[in-house]
Amino acid sequence: MTAKDSKGNTIAKHTRIYMPIPQQLGRGDKMGRGPYEKSGIIRDNGLPPNKAVKEEFEIPFPAEFKDGKTNILDYGMTVDVELIYEPFGDKETGITWHKVTKKIELEKGGV
Amino acid sequence: MRFLRTVAVSAVLALPLLLGIPHQSAAAEEKKAKSIDELAKMYDSSGCKQCHEKIYNEWDQSLHARSIFGTGRTALTVATTVKVGLMSWQYSGVKKPEDVKIKHVLVCFKCHLPQVVEATDDVAKEIVLLSIKYGDKDTKPEEKDKIEKKLSSVNIGCLICHERNAITHKWVDGFPQKNEVYGSKEGSHMDAAHPVMKKSPIMSESILCGQCHGLGPNFELENPSQCGTLYGSYLWAYRAEGGQESCQECHMRKSKLGHNMQSYNDLNMGKAAVDFRVETLGYIWRDKAKMIPQTLVKIEMINRAGHAIPDG
Repeated sequence: MTAKDSKGNTIAKHTRIYMPIPQQLGRGDKMGRGPYEKSGIIRDNGLPPNKAVKEEFEIPFPAEFKDGKTNILDYGMTVDVELIYEPFGDKETGITWHKVTKKIELEKGGV
Repeated sequence: MRFLRTVAVSAVLALPLLLGIPHQSAAAEEKKAKSIDELAKMYDSSGCKQCHEKIYNEWDQSLHARSIFGTGRTALTVATTVKVGLMSWQYSGVKKPEDVKIKHVLVCFKCHLPQVVEATDDVAKEIVLLSIKYGDKDTKPEEKDKIEKKLSSVNIGCLICHERNAITHKWVDGFPQKNEVYGSKEGSHMDAAHPVMKKSPIMSESILCGQCHGLGPNFELENPSQCGTLYGSYLWAYRAEGGQESCQECHMRKSKLGHNMQSYNDLNMGKAAVDFRVETLGYIWRDKAKMIPQTLVKIEMINRAGHAIPDG
């Protein structure tokens, strides 16, 4: 997930990895990566079938805080959320399954 | 079962084409293959193309058609398995790539090339040496092309699913016969090498795919390992929770991919696999007197596949 200000500058970037974490040679706490050494699961952080997986992020707008007052520097933000399948665990071979872009505008004024 | 109906109709129409066309001999099937070329001949799918062209062309697009080469990464992983795994393990009996035997490559080829058990250790060695050469930085592009072609000549072809692996419960349903081809119907089959068409009780069942798309560590091997675990996930996280669809239902029928059974590489399969919803809310939060402008981003994903995503 990437958030950008009105000028296109990145103000926040978060990544979550969803995958089973295989156990190396069926023992201990080390992850195995090569298929020849994987035997078991340490933890499964993949997406289970028919169950919702939820994420929440709170991203602050650019602002200055001085003398008890908040000066909002930018009232607009664009958030891109992508779901990328990386078959070999690298971005070069990643395939984007979903991409959603949302524009957020804060109200100006108020009490 | 649309694809299997197409098989039967095509076979009848193409009868004149098939008569007199030589296919693999029974004698060649009985002895073990001594080279990649001999193994390729034993399980050659090209003869099927004449009657089942559409299905053949679909399959040819799939990774089943290049199961030990893949996109190149599979061949490289075979090389890594030998160099990083087998050669580093004290009791594997492999000190150099030339020491590799069939039992060693089964860690990969139990699924990527199950017919390799019908080949001699020379074939295991030939595949491993070619895979290593493919990954060598000094190997020229034209040589790499030749290796790709050779490694892709042995694969999960028609006769793996429609003959060799078509019956899982052999004490109940009998052993698959070399002169038979298995689908959804009984009858004659217009192919000199496979004149008999038999019904496989599992052709539309997930267990057919489960033979390779795994449960977990393969304990029948001297040094167990796991690669694919999707069938385990299908059984215990999908069927056990009320899911009712089969592998074939999604990967062949609903996707309309037929024998080009794709998964993550196909964008439509990817999009269909996960419901993806994003909501945002901009607001100003107050930490006592301090005003903090922020956006809440809420993401919800629901995996609609019949197994966990990703595999591995």
